[in-house]
Amino acid sequence: MFWRRLPYLLPWRRRAAERDMQEELRSLAEMAAPGELGNLSLAAEDAREEWGWTRLEQLAQDVRYAARGLRKSPAFAAAAVLSLAIGIGATTALFTLLNTLLWKLLPVRDPHTLLMLGQRSPTTLTAGFTYQQYELFSSHAPTLDLAAYAPVRLNVSIAGSVEPTLEGQLVTGEFFPLLGVQAAMGRLLGPEDDRVPLGHPVVVLSHAYWRRRFDADPGVVGRQLALSGTPFTIVGVAPRDFFGVDVGSAPDLFAPVMMQPAVMPTTVNLLDRPNVFSTWVRIVGRVQPGASLAEAAARLDALAGNPETDWRPRDKFTGRPADVHLEMRSAATGLSDLRRRFSQPLWLLLAVSGVVLLVACANVANLLLARAAARQPEFALRLALGASRGRLMRQVIVESLLLSALGGAAGVALAFWATRALVVYASSGHQAIVLDLSPDLRVLALAAAVSALAGLTFGSVPALRAARVRLAQTWRRDAGTASSAGRGPGRVLVAAQVALSLVLLIAAGVFTRSLQNLSPADPAVDSGRILIVSVEPRGSGNRSGPGVAEHFDRLYRNLLDAVERIPGVESVSLARTAPLSGWTLGYPVSPAGGTAARMVSSTIVYPKFFSTMDIPVLKGRDFTEDDLRPAATPAVIVNEAFVREFLAGREPLGTAHGVRQARGAPPARKGDPPRFEPGNPLNIVGVVKDSRFPTLRERTSPLVFQTFLQANTGFAQMVLHVRTTARSAEVVPAVRAAVQAVDPIVPMAAVHTLSDEVDAALVRERLVAALSGVFAAVAVTLVCVGVYGLMAFSVTRRRGEIGIRMALGATRSDVRWMIARQTMATVIAGLAVGVPAAWISGRLLSSQLAGLLFHLTPTDPAIMGAAALLLAVVGTCAGLLPAHRAARVDPATTLRSE
Amino acid sequence: MEALYGVLDMLILRTLVFGPRHGYGLAAAIRDCSDEALTIEFGSLYPALKRLELKGWIVARWETSEHNRRVKVYRLTPAGRRRLHDESTDWTAFVRAVARIMNPGAKKATS
Repeated sequence: MFWRRLPYLLPWRRRAAERDMQEELRSLAEMAAPGELGNLSLAAEDAREEWGWTRLEQLAQDVRYAARGLRKSPAFAAAAVLSLAIGIGATTALFTLLNTLLWKLLPVRDPHTLLMLGQRSPTTLTAGFTYQQYELFSSHAPTLDLAAYAPVRLNVSIAGSVEPTLEGQLVTGEFFPLLGVQAAMGRLLGPEDDRVPLGHPVVVLSHAYWRRRFDADPGVVGRQLALSGTPFTIVGVAPRDFFGVDVGSAPDLFAPVMMQPAVMPTTVNLLDRPNVFSTWVRIVGRVQPGASLAEAAARLDALAGNPETDWRPRDKFTGRPADVHLEMRSAATGLSDLRRRFSQPLWLLLAVSGVVLLVACANVANLLLARAAARQPEFALRLALGASRGRLMRQVIVESLLLSALGGAAGVALAFWATRALVVYASSGHQAIVLDLSPDLRVLALAAAVSALAGLTFGSVPALRAARVRLAQTWRRDAGTASSAGRGPGRVLVAAQVALSLVLLIAAGVFTRSLQNLSPADPAVDSGRILIVSVEPRGSGNRSGPGVAEHFDRLYRNLLDAVERIPGVESVSLARTAPLSGWTLGYPVSPAGGTAARMVSSTIVYPKFFSTMDIPVLKGRDFTEDDLRPAATPAVIVNEAFVREFLAGREPLGTAHGVRQARGAPPARKGDPPRFEPGNPLNIVGVVKDSRFPTLRERTSPLVFQTFLQANTGFAQMVLHVRTTARSAEVVPAVRAAVQAVDPIVPMAAVHTLSDEVDAALVRERLVAALSGVFAAVAVTLVCVGVYGLMAFSVTRRRGEIGIRMALGATRSDVRWMIARQTMATVIAGLAVGVPAAWISGRLLSSQLAGLLFHLTPTDPAIMGAAALLLAVVGTCAGLLPAHRAARVDPATTLRSE
Repeated sequence: MEALYGVLDMLILRTLVFGPRHGYGLAAAIRDCSDEALTIEFGSLYPALKRLELKGWIVARWETSEHNRRVKVYRLTPAGRRRLHDESTDWTAFVRAVARIMNPGAKKATS
């Protein structure tokens, strides 16, 4: 009966039972004849066995003994625990991030039944819907509870003063009830807040914002704040761990979706404009109790088949519905863009950290081997005194496990710090990423499992050696001959370390080189002297009214004048899009002589854009004031790629090249694809150099620059580009003030430097390069320690042999060379395994790595060669000190002690 | 030797059917009942007592003996009684089976 034995785990219970037993045995001995009962202490020993915890006690004894042993050699313990802490910490940190991104459940009621709607096209899956699509689904899915939410940037003012722009969410009335989230204070939003457009000026604060901005004021409910100038009443605070359904984002305010026109003054009213196809809401849902998911899904899917309820977006030209269907996925772990962007690099880095852990294990195994060799006399003595080999092995294993437990605990602490540092790194330059990084059971279980596995891995080698201690040999005082047998596993371990580190070093080299290939070379970008900020005045979502475009043009020119006057501003311009966000306009072009039109990318810029962005004008001129007039002859500027593809050596400037702007023409038959016919000749006034923007990764495509009033587009938002003369920090507040002054009540975008934007765009590449670099550095350091330890140990063991050699005429340089040769042999053996291993793993992973590498293959020969050379040099150098010490052996002293 | 473990347990349980006894008394009772054919080493008997106690088949209590000594007395629990019943049934079957194998002729003669 196991449970009856449990109390005996408690030391005082065991002591009480022991006293009781001794008393009983004494009483029995008094009754019996002397010697009749036999060996009573043996009987007591066997009885104790019945309590069943003898093994445990022995284990505790082993642990105590191991702890004492580690305390006696603090340098060894520190080295081993530190190597393990780094290995286990790195693995745990990456696993924590993966766990948070991939598996952590949302803090909502019943996360497993929460669903997310998506539009699946043959190539993509998107989560965005229009509000009208949401209404349609809600009214046609009786067995499905749906709710919608939309991330939104908010202009908040409290007591009349404008606050920094916040991230918030607009939610439907069903959102909080569906998720089953309870208010931390006051109330959350409900169906009663979701009836009339503009009729519900109420807002819920996030727990974090309530604490940050209102100092956790318990009287906050009922207070007022203004969103884009409209007063709202605070009705409650969301619970502490609730950040909505989007993992990684942290909305600070929740407002009813019915208030959209008030809080998003830049865009049109998206609630009642079905002709504007803006997929701005995301839809979550649950199947009602008792209903089936398949049936609900089928019902929704059938909506597309009926012309009345066909929700699919239609092609602008053909009017045909797009090839999309509705998909319902589990939303138990939430929706995350981070998951898509970071899971692959994180898996990769987890594998890399696993290799670091292996290197660390090899290091600790080596340390333990050296220690075991030094303890051979002790083991031999204990064997001679009757200890079993199993007990010795167990003791070595316990010592290893104790080391790994200490390393694991330190590793978890390291990981706790490292995950936060990594998240800060990943969100650098942009909106903060907020993740719940508290280690849960899964993370702790992994850390424990990894530590135990590591302990058994590096402990098994010395344990087996401890079991093979031979009494006779150990007690014979021989310094030289036995050593060669003892070095075998140590050399193999160091060679393995070299091989593994080579793989890490090559990985670091490849990722770093790729990042360099990707980064733009402009020094002004690097030093943060180019500022980028979006300008979105009220109504700029639609410029297609009489005089509207002219109104915005005036606004923008005033802004340019104002910013130009700020001290420290070198030049300023506006463009339709930010440097890394892609070109959004299409521009149909009819090549000379041909009839088939081609769509090329286009953007709108104001004068001085090219000098601000440091794009050289190769031919012709920049736009002038004159080109800005709508009545002027339409003028465009093209890039080199355009010249290459369309002009074939003809003079680009002017109109003589024969390339024309294409004009949309009605299709011959209804349902045909759109048709274009040649229109006005393209009046090219300038040619500019190709730039790496907007897509750092791809070749620049043909591009047409237009002016604001001459372009044919419905949107009027622009992005301000500012080049400053010196450090931008002093200029930023002035630029921000100038932009906010254009329209004081719209949510203003943050002012970023272009280097921030580049950093944000390359965050995956930077993360992988930086971490693999750190891991490689750690691994190479561990290799140095390993090589040094191995050679130092070997020199100590061969002291006598070296003395004899020197007595027989070997010079100091002979000895030095002998030890160096041995070092090199070990390192080269490692490289001989590592190079093919790296090559094969590079080839196997090349398709997975393709997304992370730019203009580079994982088996780049130059990088592999450099890495191998570096390791060879560093490894050999690590062996120099022991070689030097060997050369200083004094033959007279050594031989006397023999 | 392993088989004897179970036998020893059974002998202890069976002996306690006649009433509670202390450790020394038990050893003596088994020796006497078997006409001194079975001499149980106290070194085996004592751990067996602890084992049976842990299994819940017997309970121990400190009492004062007729000689006015403080002794630890073991007595059978209901669970122990059930266990003894099962064991003796098994034992009888076992003995019959062994007897049939050891002495095949004898069985024929009786039937």
